[in-house]
Amino acid sequence: MITRTDRAPLIPPSRWVGYLLAFALIVAAPLVLGTPYWRGILVVCAMNVLLALSLNLVLGYTGQLNLGQSAFFAIGAYVSVILVRSHGWNFWLAMVAASAAAGMAGLLLAAFAVRLRGHYLGIASLGFAVITYQVLVNWEGVTEGVRGIYGIMPPPPIKLPGLPEISFGNSLALFWLVGGIAFAVYWMLDNLVRSPVGETLRALREDEVSAASLGINAARWKAFAFGLASTIAGLAGCFYPGFVGTLVPDAFNIVESFTMLAMVIVGGMGSMIGPVIGAVVLTFLPELLRSAGELRLMIYGIALTLVVLFMPGGILQLVQIVRARLSRRAGAGASR
Amino acid sequence: MNIRPPPRRVAVALAVAALALIGSTSHAEDKVIRVGVLMPISGPASYFGVQGKQGIELALEQVNAGAGPAGYKLQVQYEDSACSPLQATNTVKRVLEQFKPHIIIGEECSDASLAIAPILEQAKVPLLNAGSSAVKLTESGYKYVFRIFPTADQQGTLLGRNAYEKLGARTAVLLYEKTNAGVDNADTFEKVFTAAGGKVLARIDFGRDVNDFTPIATRIAGLGKVDVLPTFGLEGQTVRLAQALAQARVVRGGGGTAIQMGSIWLPWGFEQKAGPSSEGYIRVVQFDPTERRKMVTDFNAAFRAKFGAAETPTHINAHAYDSVLLVAEAVRRGATDSESLRDRFSKMQGVEVTTGRISFDAKGQTSDLSVIHFVETQKDLSWKGMAW
Repeated sequence: MITRTDRAPLIPPSRWVGYLLAFALIVAAPLVLGTPYWRGILVVCAMNVLLALSLNLVLGYTGQLNLGQSAFFAIGAYVSVILVRSHGWNFWLAMVAASAAAGMAGLLLAAFAVRLRGHYLGIASLGFAVITYQVLVNWEGVTEGVRGIYGIMPPPPIKLPGLPEISFGNSLALFWLVGGIAFAVYWMLDNLVRSPVGETLRALREDEVSAASLGINAARWKAFAFGLASTIAGLAGCFYPGFVGTLVPDAFNIVESFTMLAMVIVGGMGSMIGPVIGAVVLTFLPELLRSAGELRLMIYGIALTLVVLFMPGGILQLVQIVRARLSRRAGAGASR
Repeated sequence: MNIRPPPRRVAVALAVAALALIGSTSHAEDKVIRVGVLMPISGPASYFGVQGKQGIELALEQVNAGAGPAGYKLQVQYEDSACSPLQATNTVKRVLEQFKPHIIIGEECSDASLAIAPILEQAKVPLLNAGSSAVKLTESGYKYVFRIFPTADQQGTLLGRNAYEKLGARTAVLLYEKTNAGVDNADTFEKVFTAAGGKVLARIDFGRDVNDFTPIATRIAGLGKVDVLPTFGLEGQTVRLAQALAQARVVRGGGGTAIQMGSIWLPWGFEQKAGPSSEGYIRVVQFDPTERRKMVTDFNAAFRAKFGAAETPTHINAHAYDSVLLVAEAVRRGATDSESLRDRFSKMQGVEVTTGRISFDAKGQTSDLSVIHFVETQKDLSWKGMAW
């Protein structure tokens, strides 16, 4: 008889160590980078991690080329702000509704996307982002169009029993909030991709026909991936307006989709940690290069090109190569 | 090898020298006004940053010559805010934290300026803006925002009135980029022009990614008699638009009858880029390098001496130059920190700069319309002042 103690633990101890380290990093980072500017960059970084994780689920695990992720980010941002400002909703409730709205939009795109593959899907999703952008620009009665929405407040303070009120007007608490959510999303996706659901998505990525022969309903699982990924992107979008204080359609043009794509590719798609690395590097690198003045963007561009040229598996590939070499060297040393 | 400790007398002398150095450093720091400059140095609007920097460098050389204004030196740090609200927000936080400026000059794009204004308001650091025309910037009740650029209301009102009264125009087609500033300009023109009795036949907007204006020009050619074409767009697009309108024989430059009108957005040199298509183009300029005012001729001469005899300064050069002159003027009037800079700006009336005279109203907007000049492009692509 197989008892519970005979089974391998769902989450191996090494992963718990990783989670604890990540959690500690989220707690410590804004204390180390203790100025409003760097804490602001951390908030942007946490949003980018959410976006990269969401795109990675569709692109890296399911193998669907989605070039329209900025649309879901925009839907989350606009729906949350409109619900709060025009309809008097509580921000937290609006956040849930806005994420759901983005998820529904993802399912809408999936309704068409499940029939398409590769470049065709890429173009269709790009078209979706363009349509969303045009709606934001032209539906002036609701979105204020190019005039934008200004004076947006950060999420309202929360009061937990036995604790002082937590205000998100400062970037320290805001980072802990967005970083904490990014951590929770990472944990959820990490478990998801190691579950049979993840196996199913990977099977679709590797060979859709073979997966179908195993009884996998490709359309349904692709729709699932699109829906979940767009919900997460919408969730990230809810925090953008309160952080910047303004909301204009240009913040969500299609270039943003390519930035998200770059985060996933540079970090290493198809893994959980790769997109996180990509988001961190692509958020911090341009800021760290500011001292290079006008050469900043040139260095940034060259760095990205070199990564894509020489490390097709992203920065994660480099980490793996270095780790393999070190362990080989250690093994050789031990056998001597 | 043994290193002998320095004799006590030498050590004392060194300590005294170090203390004196520290003292002189803190004294020097007291006599510096730090100016943060936020401009688009990357992206499609980067020409603002390039030209703005030229104007600032020239002004700095002049105001910092000798002891500087009231014994103060102006120290500048440039940052790329890329015309983007998010990047401008991050950049202004970085500048506030690392450079600790007494004042910020910038941004050019209205969206970015509107994003940084509340941050600077909270930090109590004045913002001196010389390139954003969105009305909201000085209508939101900010106490630390000052603008030397005429708003869309100020420009559009004069354009609409002069189109109707001076040009006798009765029909118009509005052409504008779909941005905060473009929409504001078009709306104001329409309001004034229709209130006077004119008729707007069509409003045609375009994104900043549009390159081919042939369909728009063809559509206008099919609208019947159009008297004026108020156009609000960045230089690159307006050049292509003017050429397409000429090709479609709509505007005077192409043998048509319609007059294209425009706002301050177009820098000096637009005509040379647009060529004969720009003949008859009437536009508002805030800086006229052909003006004979001493301030302007001196500026032209200094600009050519620094950047080359063939160079003619644009309004972007002039705006940046004027911004530094105004900061220096505030310092001459006793400003030593952010609060006193704000105070001196709020009291400035009739201060002469290259673009005209600057008088800030209670909202921080320059109210002196001497900064608005109308010019018409001639057949030889030169300017003729309209004396309106």
